[in-house]
Amino acid sequence: MTCLSGVRVLDLSRVFSGPWAGQMLADFGADVIKVERPGKGDDVRHQGLRAKDAQGNETRETSSFLAMNRGKRSVTVDMSRPQGQSLIRELAKQCDIVIENFKAGDLARYGLDYAALSAINPRLVYCSISGFGQTGPYRHLPGYDPLFQSMSGLMSITGHADGEPGGGPMRVGFSVGDITAGFYAVSAILAALRQRDVVSGTGQHIDLALLDAQVAAISHVAMMYLVSGEQPPRLGNASPITCPWQSFDCSDGQIVVAVGNDTQFVAFCRVLGLPDLPLDERFATNPLRARNRLALVPQLAAVLATRPVKQWHAEFDAAGVPTGPINGFAEVFADPQIQHREMLMELPHSQIGSVPQVANPVRFSATPIAYGRAAPLLGEHTAEVLRELLQLDDEGVAALRRDKVI
Amino acid sequence: MDAAAVPATGKPVLLAGVRVLDLSRVFAGPFATQMLADFGADVIKIERPGVGDESRQQGARIHDAEGREVDFTAPFLSMNRGKRSVAVDIATSEGRDIVRALALQCDVLVENFKVGDLKRHGLDYDSLHAANPRLVYASVTGFGQTGPRAREPGYDLAFQAMSGVMSITGHPDGTPGGGPQRIGYSVSDITAAYHVVIAVLGALYARQAGTCEGQHIDISLLDTQVAAASHVSMGYLATGRQPPRLGAASHFMVPYQPFDCSDAPLIVLCGNDGQFRRLAAALGLAGLADDARFATNPQRLKNRDALVDLIGPVIARRTRADWVAVLTGAGVPCAPINDFEAAFADPQLVHRGMVMERPFGPTGSLRQIANPVRFSETPVRYDRPPPALGEHTDAVCAQWLGISPDRLRELRRSGVL
Repeated sequence: MTCLSGVRVLDLSRVFSGPWAGQMLADFGADVIKVERPGKGDDVRHQGLRAKDAQGNETRETSSFLAMNRGKRSVTVDMSRPQGQSLIRELAKQCDIVIENFKAGDLARYGLDYAALSAINPRLVYCSISGFGQTGPYRHLPGYDPLFQSMSGLMSITGHADGEPGGGPMRVGFSVGDITAGFYAVSAILAALRQRDVVSGTGQHIDLALLDAQVAAISHVAMMYLVSGEQPPRLGNASPITCPWQSFDCSDGQIVVAVGNDTQFVAFCRVLGLPDLPLDERFATNPLRARNRLALVPQLAAVLATRPVKQWHAEFDAAGVPTGPINGFAEVFADPQIQHREMLMELPHSQIGSVPQVANPVRFSATPIAYGRAAPLLGEHTAEVLRELLQLDDEGVAALRRDKVI
Repeated sequence: MDAAAVPATGKPVLLAGVRVLDLSRVFAGPFATQMLADFGADVIKIERPGVGDESRQQGARIHDAEGREVDFTAPFLSMNRGKRSVAVDIATSEGRDIVRALALQCDVLVENFKVGDLKRHGLDYDSLHAANPRLVYASVTGFGQTGPRAREPGYDLAFQAMSGVMSITGHPDGTPGGGPQRIGYSVSDITAAYHVVIAVLGALYARQAGTCEGQHIDISLLDTQVAAASHVSMGYLATGRQPPRLGAASHFMVPYQPFDCSDAPLIVLCGNDGQFRRLAAALGLAGLADDARFATNPQRLKNRDALVDLIGPVIARRTRADWVAVLTGAGVPCAPINDFEAAFADPQLVHRGMVMERPFGPTGSLRQIANPVRFSETPVRYDRPPPALGEHTDAVCAQWLGISPDRLRELRRSGVL
């Protein structure tokens, strides 16, 4: 039993945002058909690091593709040719959802835009993801994650303070803009699907922009600007509204301290052997600590620097003070909690043998995630899907292949 | 169709008729339920009488048009629009009964108490599922409902650190300011919130399709942040090697980073080799696209430093405005590094209405970030501003539970409401 059994998705998207959304729907049990360009396929088949098979030989499969395409079937169709376009229209007739992330207007040229596909399948929920949206002065521009990190203000609040060593705006180390847009896409699609089935009987068009999504995600920090007109300071690893909420140097490495309330601050100071600090009127409440950060932080730092990370960590855990190590990925996947939650798993793969995967983090009690397939080879399911959905026979498939339509 | 499904705008409401009981505080839960409210669900936020959601006390208080401080903070305002606030003390037996009675009339419950806390109050999944089997019950916690650390509290920064995302953000070790860097907003809270919304909507779909009744959803900030690191952590899993910290540059694409123009930095990137060819031409360095060291992205990755040394000085000769015009004209993606003032003045964001202004009692009006989803048929609605603490206690208790005005007064006197 899966969440989305019976839901069929036509995934015309490439690279990150759209495929990430499609993979989430596949994790939830939808049948996701990924349409790719014959020969080359999704651009990320050629980006990232190549996975090795059990013998240590490099395969053609890349980490970026493997991270976002499990559970899908790959069908190669040349969309620039009329025959290819009509195949996609036929597939769309049998789908509930279309996801695409072409530049605004590109698919209209092929008769595969919302207007064209909803005319032949009014129940279709059609989600367009683009850098800047389907409307507005930048709608025709291509867009990539770093542009949205920089344009949204995200980089302006990430990094060391100006004037400090290495100070200046910093990029987030993963494609947070793409991933965020992927989450909004799935949310919107599922809500629209429910509305179709419960209320209206018809699908609709969802217009989602990476720039808009990243701006929305910044949430309370952007709100601080909106209500005050003041740019929130860039504070390195510290928070502008909570203190202490930052990384500290211990004797052998760094620890992150996130003291979320006054009770935890009392416990934190007791562990440090500074029980009088919470009685100091400058530090009694979080707003006061945030204001008097410069007076407080050096006192904490001096004590924390005297002992190793592990020792502090054990004591803070026992005292109920939230702290954590700054993990590299080796530590992440070795962490007992991460292991208990089975966040790392393996799926069988024809070229690699077995491919490691970061699991979907959603735990449903009644409809658990059912992982079927690893990320597909290019065109692996072309014949299968055309037979199953369009009732083409071997001859028909062979003819399309001969004409290089698929 | 239920009458509430078609408001005065003539457009139907996306989640018409969906009732959500929100027992969550601070960021992850409230951000999720705000999204459900944006989509049209009726969200009842339960708060502790007198104190309310901790985020009402976090950050500076805002001011009205005359400069007087009002009792709202930016963090609270950013995550609680569209909800009704009901102040009930769940530590009292009467308060517990009220929350339970409300839960029996809801489709969705979202909570972020520490594991086991709600069980003591009879408000855990098992207790409520027995009485209302259709309830979709989402628990969002730092570490999840199970595992060795399940009972520990947890906050955004710890999950940024533990998930590995700080290890790949920041300057390389050995350079000035080198070391892991925090992401400037509560990305782990927000990422968990998206998963809550997606899981709740998935579960509502399964319920409506007859696949199952309600169910329990267990979301952890640590798990969701690990999952969101996506292709970068997959780079590690595929090779066993920790991806290096590259400052503002990318692991997989070159060029894909800020360059200093004569007056300000500009992000310049090439998503494919065609864009690199156009960039090289625009810079007057057309030969680079045919240079064996730089013609394809894998070659450019290997020869990153040599390439940056060649194009950096050329970009440094002219102003950012010049380069934006030249590169945009040539079809090469580029963007300034905006602060919020510049971001919200950007013509595209203005066109998209991402900052909106709505009436708000305490200050007259309030600027907010809009929901980024644009539906063709069921536009996002912003009917209610963020509520004052307990603003809707009486209305909800009277309408949903039929509690009389006398009884409400009594409950308020005894501190239950």
